Amino acid sequence: MSLLEVKGLTKSFGSKMSVDSISFTLQPHTATALIGPNGAGKTTTMSMITGLLAQTSGTVLLEGSSNIRQHVGFLPQYPKFYPWLTALEYVEMVAGLSHVPKREIRARSKQVLQYVGLEKDMNRLTSTFSGGMKQRLGIAQAIVHQPKLLLLDEPVSALDPIGRAEVMELLKLLQQQTTILYSTHILHDAEKMTDQVLFMKQGKLVEQGSLSAIQLRYADPKYAVQFANQVDASQFASGYPTARCEGSTVLLEVDETLPTMQELMSQVSSTGLEVIKLERVSASLDQIFMKVAGEREVLGNTVD
Amino acid sequence: MKSWAILSTKEFREGWRSYKFLWIPLLFLFLGVSDPLTNYFMEDILAAVGNMPEGFQMIMPQLEASDLLLASIEQFQLIGIIVLIAVFIGTISRERSNGTATLIYVRPVAPASIYLSKWALSTLVAAWGVICGFAGSIYYTSVLYGSISFRTVLTVIATYMLWLLFVMALTVTMSALFKTGVGAALTIIVIPIGGMIDSIIGSYWHISPWKLARYGLFISEDMIEASHYWSTLVLTLVLTIIIVAIGIWATGHNRKMTNV
Repeated sequence: MSLLEVKGLTKSFGSKMSVDSISFTLQPHTATALIGPNGAGKTTTMSMITGLLAQTSGTVLLEGSSNIRQHVGFLPQYPKFYPWLTALEYVEMVAGLSHVPKREIRARSKQVLQYVGLEKDMNRLTSTFSGGMKQRLGIAQAIVHQPKLLLLDEPVSALDPIGRAEVMELLKLLQQQTTILYSTHILHDAEKMTDQVLFMKQGKLVEQGSLSAIQLRYADPKYAVQFANQVDASQFASGYPTARCEGSTVLLEVDETLPTMQELMSQVSSTGLEVIKLERVSASLDQIFMKVAGEREVLGNTVD
Repeated sequence: MKSWAILSTKEFREGWRSYKFLWIPLLFLFLGVSDPLTNYFMEDILAAVGNMPEGFQMIMPQLEASDLLLASIEQFQLIGIIVLIAVFIGTISRERSNGTATLIYVRPVAPASIYLSKWALSTLVAAWGVICGFAGSIYYTSVLYGSISFRTVLTVIATYMLWLLFVMALTVTMSALFKTGVGAALTIIVIPIGGMIDSIIGSYWHISPWKLARYGLFISEDMIEASHYWSTLVLTLVLTIIIVAIGIWATGHNRKMTNV
């Protein structure tokens, strides 16, 4: 049985459709990345799942129930804490608000702060925290009540590479205990920890599935043959109708008409031209992102 | 209600750590002692400043203890209340606009818990300030002008507390209903400016919440009919309950105004 079921979720502000009838399900103990360009509706979707924002239409069910608040942990993109509370006081407060039993509050708060690496700083005021520390405190407050679903809005986008690696490491560990839905526009992060990708664009869910499946769909495989100089490259390219030259590299679309790698190698060597590299390339994640996100320009629409 | 207690602890910590429990009583203390002291020492102050023309004579009004108590109440009404409104008008709206409310609103917390914790703490700070102010005023008045009965003191302060409950309920409700700027403007129109209007043309009626603050003293001095006092008291209480109900509704309804 799926943990979260989102059906036809829609939010419109006036005539603008921020989120346009999206549906998906999350399986327990999976990590799902919500990907899309800025303004695609990722934050609005998350706000509706948490119940902060009322949807225009559609349903959000957690284990078949619409009573979600108790079982969700949420980390906004820029978590804001009361500056005059210490980290421990803050986590204890939200633990109490989420009905953690009174005698467990202290122990569990300390435990999650230790978990995110803030045990030395837990008695400091949150106003003295750096961005990375705030993000980790944000994770601590989101998991202290052991939620069934963890919603993270751009959990790593504002962090430096070290902080990013640390937080991703934390999330990977958390995945064993809970179900994670996080939004990001950094695909390399999604690649590290994801079972499912939801690709949003202009409020619509345009791609859905495992990252490897999407990668395959948009892979656009090519052979790249690099020659020592451009003259050799263009000479070689003239023999193939689909070939395209990029500097001294010739790109060949992979389809049925093309030879296998083996045949290509023998064809290249028979020309006697000086070859530096021969490889089969696929579109990078960023290229896939651009491709999926970029189709809006083709349609002539703009976001924002 | 458990979450009410948790949120009240949080509000109390804020009040304590932002020194509201210190500077607001100091302000009221200053307002409270200023009238008995300046009136009593006016002749000395004028003499010390000097430059009075030859043969200048000033007739000082003969002030009773109750006049000075009334003067202190006027000070609280004019300055103290505006400061309290300014301090607490953002109590809900500012948390929404700076995003600190978001992480509270995503949890299973009833709007009533949020509202009532805010109302309780703002009234507590206001009451603590006013008690300090009255203590200063009553101390110097009784030393310099003659004693005030304990019964009068109790009636004046208890009545003023009801007025504070009303003012703080309105302030917190405005904060729940609107953004900080709009709420501040409306509250300042309703409370201080409404009070001024009431004192200018209010002689045509006897029952209005704005009169409550003075009525505590007037009833002790037998200056008004008891029925006017009690009607005003009940009216203020009823209005307070209505305002609180609106405030709780607005706190829940405007959850979506929080910045994510």
